[in-house]
Amino acid sequence: MMSDHTFKILVTGPYAAGKTSLIQSVSQTEVISTDVVTSGDESAVKAHTTVAMDFGTYAIDDNDVRLLLFGTPGQPRFRFMTNILKGDVDIVAFVLDAEAPATHAPAGVELRSLLADLQVPAVIAVNRCDDLQAARRIARSLGAADSQPVVPCQLNDADSGREVVVEILVTLLTHVESNALVASGAGVA
Amino acid sequence: MDSVKTRNEGGGAQMNQRIPMVPVAPAAGGATPPATTPLAPPPVAIVDGASATPPLAIILDEMTSAVDGVNGALLASVDGFAVARSAGMPNSAAHAAVLAAGMGLAHQLAAMGGGSELRQLVIDHDEGLLLLWPLGSKRVLALLTTRRVDQQSMRQFVQAKAYWLAGDQ
Repeated sequence: MMSDHTFKILVTGPYAAGKTSLIQSVSQTEVISTDVVTSGDESAVKAHTTVAMDFGTYAIDDNDVRLLLFGTPGQPRFRFMTNILKGDVDIVAFVLDAEAPATHAPAGVELRSLLADLQVPAVIAVNRCDDLQAARRIARSLGAADSQPVVPCQLNDADSGREVVVEILVTLLTHVESNALVASGAGVA
Repeated sequence: MDSVKTRNEGGGAQMNQRIPMVPVAPAAGGATPPATTPLAPPPVAIVDGASATPPLAIILDEMTSAVDGVNGALLASVDGFAVARSAGMPNSAAHAAVLAAGMGLAHQLAAMGGGSELRQLVIDHDEGLLLLWPLGSKRVLALLTTRRVDQQSMRQFVQAKAYWLAGDQ
């Protein structure tokens, strides 16, 4: 945790999943982005892509609780940026496109590897999906546990983006409380 | 090319000079239209293949041999793909991605400094300089140079070849 009430969120996932859209839809400050025009095969998927990072913020309770959202590029050639941005992260928001099933298997490998490395909670945001059960099936296909928070969402809609943020906050709160219990010894048999 | 091969006897790279506003027409082939940005002339019709793009790696090789102090050159797309490299530059896919990320952040740093246009990014390290120049809207040129490289000659060379290097045609 960066400070008592400031949390660092790593927003990651495959190319064109909706990571930048999530940050843009919820950030309360101007989003710092590194979007450039795409080329080659990737230009058939979308016109612009993140090459370094996105950065946005979200605060509640008069800035008492602040989320710092760090978005990564999605392509494997930019993995070094994820390695830079993942330091001291409190939670991972893993974004996935329900309608791009070809990305799911490699995304599962990435998610499992990231969580094994970071040992932090994660929220899986399944973009372009309205059905929780369908979103959970996709999350399970990534190797996520049944207890993993999953949010179906439409990240071109700010309200839907905020639902993801609410889930992030709830998951963070649960994690912090659980850690406090362990620290106090109450969770030790 | 010999006319380009000069040495910066004054010592030290000339930092923060932008690439000349007026592009030099390609040495051979079709006419180059007026530039709207320093290195990105608008599209031009190619007549009978007269201005067909020369191999970009050859242009980069020419540059390393023609301009004293330039040890290597890599041309990449702004989204992190290698387009061409001079002989001797390592063939690492990661380099183009790192360049793209660096330029992406540099644009934000320029904005943070109150600027609206990034002209160059200079990495000054113990072995020399790494100069990154945006070329038009689609490409970035990375140049590995000594600290005493003649930046004026280097800029003139790139300006003369900008039509092809920028990839906007």
